[in-house]
Amino acid sequence: MSQRHEADRRGAKDPDDIKRDTSAAVAGEPAQLTERQRAILVRLLRAAYPHDSFPDGPYERTADAVIAATADDQRLARTLGPDLDQLDVIAGGDFCSVDEQTVTHWLREYSEEPYFRAIRGIAVVALYDDHEVWELLGYEGPSVDQGGYLHRGFDDLDWLPDPRIEEYDGEPRPDIITSDTQGADA
Amino acid sequence: MSEITDARPTQHGKPIEHGDPVVVIIGSGAGGGTMAHELATNGVRCVVLEAGPFLQREDYVNDEWEAFSQMAWLDMRTTSGSWRIARDFPNLPAWIVKAVGGTTTHWSGATPRFMAHEFKALSTYGPVEGANLLDWPITLADLEPYYDRAEKAIGSTHRHGRPPLPANNNYKVFANGAERVGYKYYATGPYGTNAEPYDGRPASIQDGFNFQGDKSGAKWSIAVREIPRALETGNVDLRPQCHAVRITHDPAGKVDAVEYLDADGALHRQAARVVCVAGNSIETARLLLMSDSPLHPDGLANSSSGQVGRNYMRHLTGSAYARFDEPVRMYRGETMAGIIADEASHNPARGFVGGFYMETLSLGPAFLASFVEPGSWGREFTQLLEAYRNTAGMWIVGEDMPQASNRVTLNTDVKDQHGLPVPNVHFDDHPNDAAMRRYAYRAADELYRAVGARGVHHTPPYPATHNLGTCRMAERPEDGPLDAWGQAHDVPGLFVSDGSVMTTGGAANPTLTIVALAMRQADHVVDLLRRDEL
Ligand SMILES: Cc1cc2nc3c(=O)[nH]c(=O)nc-3n(C[C@H](O)[C@H](O)[C@H](O)COP(=O)(O)OP(=O)(O)OC[C@H]3O[C@@H](n4cnc5c(N)ncnc54)[C@H](O)[C@@H]3O)c2cc1C
Repeated sequence: MSQRHEADRRGAKDPDDIKRDTSAAVAGEPAQLTERQRAILVRLLRAAYPHDSFPDGPYERTADAVIAATADDQRLARTLGPDLDQLDVIAGGDFCSVDEQTVTHWLREYSEEPYFRAIRGIAVVALYDDHEVWELLGYEGPSVDQGGYLHRGFDDLDWLPDPRIEEYDGEPRPDIITSDTQGADA
Repeated sequence: MSEITDARPTQHGKPIEHGDPVVVIIGSGAGGGTMAHELATNGVRCVVLEAGPFLQREDYVNDEWEAFSQMAWLDMRTTSGSWRIARDFPNLPAWIVKAVGGTTTHWSGATPRFMAHEFKALSTYGPVEGANLLDWPITLADLEPYYDRAEKAIGSTHRHGRPPLPANNNYKVFANGAERVGYKYYATGPYGTNAEPYDGRPASIQDGFNFQGDKSGAKWSIAVREIPRALETGNVDLRPQCHAVRITHDPAGKVDAVEYLDADGALHRQAARVVCVAGNSIETARLLLMSDSPLHPDGLANSSSGQVGRNYMRHLTGSAYARFDEPVRMYRGETMAGIIADEASHNPARGFVGGFYMETLSLGPAFLASFVEPGSWGREFTQLLEAYRNTAGMWIVGEDMPQASNRVTLNTDVKDQHGLPVPNVHFDDHPNDAAMRRYAYRAADELYRAVGARGVHHTPPYPATHNLGTCRMAERPEDGPLDAWGQAHDVPGLFVSDGSVMTTGGAANPTLTIVALAMRQADHVVDLLRRDEL
């Protein structure tokens, strides 16, 4: 959050804003969601970014990041809750118990809706910046404190032969190839 | 705006009085930092104004988004045009750095040179409809000695006795694919990171982070080499967090000062004998446009050509991410230490003019998710990330066509944190760009399929890391604002020293050329100052 504060001070954008046009956005308080609305948001995020191996934690944290980011955009802060309520209405009561295929089908229709685009813009940054997610995807992250990957497998790929690393030492590459030069080569 | 104050902002190096008319350099990146180093080591005193903070190695963080928040240029910008950026990243047309050292803090290190014909785009390619092509007012021969010097400064591998970097996992896939499709001109460089200790910096530890600033110090950047050495001379007054807002001239039209805001928003005026603008293409054009005067009603240096802000180029780019059955772990090791030059030739039989390089590229999951297919979601999207461990990646970088309508203008409807009009960046692909990108994606598919790829995803251009051409050099004043030395045709004492001077973009990553051009310009400025001609 200190990063966000710093960005505000500079009047600049935050990474989780980069996909949205905030040139006219007004900052203020974040959206006050009910427990129910937050649960719908978590379900929506899991359907939008389905990974069978992921537990709920990363999706919960991503939902909180979406809510926090509405502080930068009062229009979104006002509409987020009602837009989420609407999903329960569409589901005829309980959006959270609808299967992934159906949810995906509905979301396709809303793909270009500003609220869904805004949620994705924030969520895609928050979800994949989550360190539990890094581990689940097999990303090892920072390495400099451990001496980099120099002795920890930077070149351990063994299913292909070791390639040349020097530049080609035969004929230099022609800079210009025209039908004339090709003819001459042939 | 507030009154001009005489109080001093925080500075590094030896202080220079506000009233002392010295060389004022705006921006401390590849172009501006090189100017400062070259001038200072030749005894010329300069003030360097840098909008960003002075970050040091210990400040850098090995974390993509945290590092991005720490140093990316995030001031408000707007976009228009048919490019996807205007929809996917509407306020982020470019991915550049706001810190001492500029975008070299973020850069990866690929250093190919321009080819001779790339300085003669118009006469080599002939007129291309809709493109504003022009020959450069200089040739490769003019730049060759400076390319040598720049490669030695950067410590490019494979050049001047510098050994190559070893093959990392991503390169193994890339180079084997290259060999199998018949490419010959591939290698792990030339690349601006040490394979062995050089110039006081250590060898690479293959830590996988260099877009974030390099904590190990193996990578060349202006912040680790040129800036400290320039400060040591005692001829430089470096002022971080000082944002230039206007360049002024005397009644005769010669530059005489630069007005700037410090970290607290206080306005200062630094007298200047010479001004070198190096704010990276978008800000350079914006500053000139904001510096209009009765003598230059359309923006400083814009009277004869009307080309300031136009011909904005961002290189043809695109990325290809290939999924394999076996692990690759592309994130381990030097990010871009892999270059294929076979397709860089100009070969119009492929259906387009100009050429492109293929270079290894790796992003962590946090960046990959944001850039791989912006806006996308659902299983098609998550399968790309599920395959992270087994993914190899490459970047495609080629020449894009300059177009007069691809343009930086002032958007007076939207203001930045200082209350100044933000730059709007308008961009449409030229048909030649689109044809080259299609061909390049196919070439990437073939390369990766040759080593067993299960699928290859084509990623559209992300916010521009290469920003060029908005203030181009041209023989005739009516064709471009700058002469063959990067001095404004219309404004004595005004130089532009960054990537915006490029008449056309070539296929090569631009930084080596920006550094070489700045070294050449600095020699010229020193010479003119000695002869009292500035
Ligand atoms: C992720 C990434 C990877 C890259 N990899 C490569 C690569 O492999 N090879 C290559 O050749 N290039 C690479 N580049 C591009 C390279 O970094 C740039 O081409 C180069 O740094 C541009 O130099 P410049 O002098 O034009 O601008 P910059 O280096 O961006 O410097 C401009 C400076 O001016 C400052 N500034 C702007 N406006 C003002 C103002 N009004 N007042 C005061 N200061 C101001 C900015 O804060 C900045 O510090 C990469 C870039 C990125 C982002």
